[in-house]
Amino acid sequence: MASVSELYDVTWEEMRDKLRKWRDENYRNSEQIVDVGEELLNEHASKLGDDIWIIYEQVMIAALDCSRDDLAVSCLQELKRQFPGSHRVKRLAGMRLEALERYEDATKLYDSILQDDPTNTAARKRKMAMLKAQGKSPEAIRDLNEYLEQFVGDQEAWHELSELYINEHDYAKAAFCLEELMMTNPHNHLYCEQYAEVKYTQGGLDNLELSRKYFAQALKLNNRNMRALFGFYMSASHIAASPKVSAKVKKDNVRYAAWAASQINRAYQKSVMSQPLMSSFEEMASRGLFGPKNMC
Amino acid sequence: MASSFWKALVLVGLLALAHAAFSAAQHRSYMRLTEKENETLPIDIVLQTLLAFIVTCYGIVHIAGEFKDMDASAELKNKTFDTLRNRPSFYLFNHRGRVLSHSPDQASFIPCARALPANPVRLRKLEPLHH
Repeated sequence: MASVSELYDVTWEEMRDKLRKWRDENYRNSEQIVDVGEELLNEHASKLGDDIWIIYEQVMIAALDCSRDDLAVSCLQELKRQFPGSHRVKRLAGMRLEALERYEDATKLYDSILQDDPTNTAARKRKMAMLKAQGKSPEAIRDLNEYLEQFVGDQEAWHELSELYINEHDYAKAAFCLEELMMTNPHNHLYCEQYAEVKYTQGGLDNLELSRKYFAQALKLNNRNMRALFGFYMSASHIAASPKVSAKVKKDNVRYAAWAASQINRAYQKSVMSQPLMSSFEEMASRGLFGPKNMC
Repeated sequence: MASSFWKALVLVGLLALAHAAFSAAQHRSYMRLTEKENETLPIDIVLQTLLAFIVTCYGIVHIAGEFKDMDASAELKNKTFDTLRNRPSFYLFNHRGRVLSHSPDQASFIPCARALPANPVRLRKLEPLHH
């Protein structure tokens, strides 16, 4: 099979920089990471310097995703040789055990890390991830709540908890978690949008109004967020279609929905290929499929 | 890394600044020796200081790398949920990737499981597959 550098005509520095970009921005394109990383480690290990250890870690996790246990074990051995007795490497060994579904062995390993160092957050998070993997959502939620009582600022954990609540259909608590995230990241349009979607799912007139407002906020932060635009259109149409609203609110929301529809049309018009998409959107909008009258 | 021209410019600016400082110190000691302590710095030293400062600043700006927008939300405009919803500390491994990806001991189990056939037309740039 042709090597990555031949296929794409890239140098080893570009491969290393790509790996760094994927690492920094949390990309989970594991097959590509394994291809690029494996070649980098096999051919250019000597040129990487100290970067090599973090690349070993990155490639190992990607190998676990692709069920490449051979690669994972070899990366783990290199890391163990360089950093014996390191908690971070032990955690990676635990992750490998998790990938092999040896959950009791992994739990023992994480417990030994926590005995040595009770403040080690990584091991605690892996234990919670194991509960999630085994389908024990209520225990995972309980543990995550206890964890967050101690480590209130951990954004990843709040986001994880919101997802767990959404899977359990406990939208009120999920909204609370997303509110925490929005408080600490006021400029992130994606959290606003996700919060608005949760509120929209909860339903009820108040929640729909709130969701419309947060969709608008997401649009203010990023006017290219199409999903927020669609959400704004739908929440406005639902409010307008509800029988319990006053005439003024109805009129306002019809105006908002019309504005959103025109923005959507304009955005799609810019892309030439979407003529069929546009016409189907208009057809559905005119048939009232976006604003059924029996909601709320 | 920045091109060597800008680095050279910063170096020249810093040297000129050091030279101007040295001349000012020398001028001061000369003034003290000749007891003419009320004379101000000669204008060429002042001009050299200011010019060297401007040149150094200009060069540093070019070495400093990419500027980010002042607007805090600007760098998030290109982010999508594809990357935002990945939480590395909570990654699970019990997903379809275990079976879908090519694995040496499962190759006989799944006859046509080959990850990423060498198809240069399909993959033009080294970008994540779902972009």
